[in-house]
Amino acid sequence: MAIANQTESRSQSVAADQRPLIRRLIAKPEFGPFVLLVIELAVFTAINPDFLSPLNISNTLVFTVELGLIALAMTLLMTAGEFDLSVGAVFGFSPIVMWTLFNQGVVSLPVGFVIAIVIAALIGMVNGLFVTRLKIPSFLVTLGMLLVVRGTALFVTDGFPQRTWNAGEQWIANVLVGDFYVGPFRIYMSLFWFIAAALIFWYILNQTKFGNWIQASGGNPNAARARGVNVNATKLALFMLCSSMAALAGIISSIRTSAANPNSGTGYELEVIAMVVIGGTALMGGRGTIVGTVLGVFILRVMRNGIVMIGVPGLAYNIFIGAIILGMMALHYGLERRHQSGT
Amino acid sequence: MTDLVRMERISKFYGRVQALEDVSFSVRQSEIVGLLGDNGAGKSTLIKVLSGAVPTTSGDIFIRGKKVDIRSTTDAIANGIETIYQDSALVTQLSIARNLFLGREPLIGPKVFNRMDHATMNKVASDLLRRVGITKNIPPTTPIAALSGGERQAVAIARAMHFDSDLIILDEPTNNLGVAETRGVLNFVRGARDSGHSCIFIAHNIHHVFQVVDRIVVLRRGKVVADDIDPKKSSIDEVELIITGMTDEELAGAPVH
Ligand SMILES: Nc1ncnc2c1ncn2[C@@H]1O[C@H](COP(=O)(O)OP(=O)(O)O)[C@@H](O)[C@H]1O
Ligand SMILES: [Mg+2]
Repeated sequence: MAIANQTESRSQSVAADQRPLIRRLIAKPEFGPFVLLVIELAVFTAINPDFLSPLNISNTLVFTVELGLIALAMTLLMTAGEFDLSVGAVFGFSPIVMWTLFNQGVVSLPVGFVIAIVIAALIGMVNGLFVTRLKIPSFLVTLGMLLVVRGTALFVTDGFPQRTWNAGEQWIANVLVGDFYVGPFRIYMSLFWFIAAALIFWYILNQTKFGNWIQASGGNPNAARARGVNVNATKLALFMLCSSMAALAGIISSIRTSAANPNSGTGYELEVIAMVVIGGTALMGGRGTIVGTVLGVFILRVMRNGIVMIGVPGLAYNIFIGAIILGMMALHYGLERRHQSGT
Repeated sequence: MTDLVRMERISKFYGRVQALEDVSFSVRQSEIVGLLGDNGAGKSTLIKVLSGAVPTTSGDIFIRGKKVDIRSTTDAIANGIETIYQDSALVTQLSIARNLFLGREPLIGPKVFNRMDHATMNKVASDLLRRVGITKNIPPTTPIAALSGGERQAVAIARAMHFDSDLIILDEPTNNLGVAETRGVLNFVRGARDSGHSCIFIAHNIHHVFQVVDRIVVLRRGKVVADDIDPKKSSIDEVELIITGMTDEELAGAPVH
């Protein structure tokens, strides 16, 4: 929303916000996360200069953007007032679908990829139908779906990882996660998919009619419905998007690591939701920020990587994450209250 | 001239409670009708029927002489009937301009990559805010959450005017408002009438009603007991008598409050 305001006010001649630029920046929900990320980078680099080495940056980026793809879609869904706990399970399940079909010689890898994405979209559709038609809270629906999807992944594989080793010769593998060097940096194609998704979702949320509908569906669904907004269709589309992005992320990850493990993605749903709310998107909907989510994604991944780099035991990671969530929520909710009282 | 809206023999039961009994009620073009009645008289129920918020038990609704079927708020809006609630019809997180155009966003650009026309939305919003009498300089990008109760109603009224709603319904719009804000809302209502819209105005404060309406209709226990009171020819005392249903003698004998 803050980004939207910025663009909107540029195109209007009347009554622009007269506060000084710096105060307007500080009032934005993305400002806190931005400062936190800068502090993290500064502290980790100060303690261990290797933190900013090309190797470490390359390594951190790879997985960051895979989770980031899910977080971007989750941002839109949460802005519309819903969330999806089944993304971690879909992340693990979709590569299983693709590799099982491919390994058994049923289809080629690209076709298997498409089938896996379509199945994920259908999973999202079932989530969406339960939520919008049966009016069951998304917490319960997607929790149930998490178990169904994860259970299916374990059942069809007997709990064993799938073979993935001949992915290297497939063009689709190169398109999704081919890697190359830019100077000393090893860059994977998935970085570009993440950037593309961030730009497209930003545009959708802030510039398009659909984006207005997403925000209205989460902010006040009854008012939105009365204006002719199809709230149910909006949410359904976003559930499908969210599942599809989780599938894409899972497949990218499985090709890169040459592993399709039915257990992979366990717990990702909470990490992704944490990334989104740290960035400033409202848990209850109505307000969402893609820029904030990008910051939130990096805040958590940099923290995970940095803690290890500076020698704090990895097991302490959750303490820091929890503290970040609490601190950022205090900030966002404080800002929200000031906003509501019109200052 | 046919009436803009005519409701005929409307009855409404909530379970076994009869809230409306054979109510006939009409609004003419460019007319502000004041709907008065004691608590529980059925005023809100009558306008909820008209705005699609509750279904009738029996009766018909005609718009410009044509029978219509209003089953939802969306139906009512499509038929040019806009209801303004204190709060609930706006998305507080969205800006004034985004609320004004919600569901009818103007678009620019090629079909697939089209986007909202923010420039037009903001310009129209600013003009509208001025037209409904908001003189304070409020940018159209301000979120509704930052507006006062009176300003929110101004936005809702502005929206109704812009999309040419024929009939704007206000149920107790001046409740919880300060003196200046109340004056503002009364002005918005007059402004809407002067640009050709009709209004139904319900208010607890009978003085507010007398200040703006062209005609007064009184409900008592779900029935119309007067439907053509001219506020210029009647006194507030007379209307109060009709509302409470007491004759002068009864009133004289009743405990004074
Ligand atoms: N949702 C409802 N369920 C049951 N009874 C209701 C409901 N709404 C209103 N009523 C009853 O209908 C009657 C008319 O109420 P209402 O239309 O709200 O009156 P007013 O707006 O004139 O104060 C009252 O007796 C009230 O108790
Ligand atoms: Mg009432």
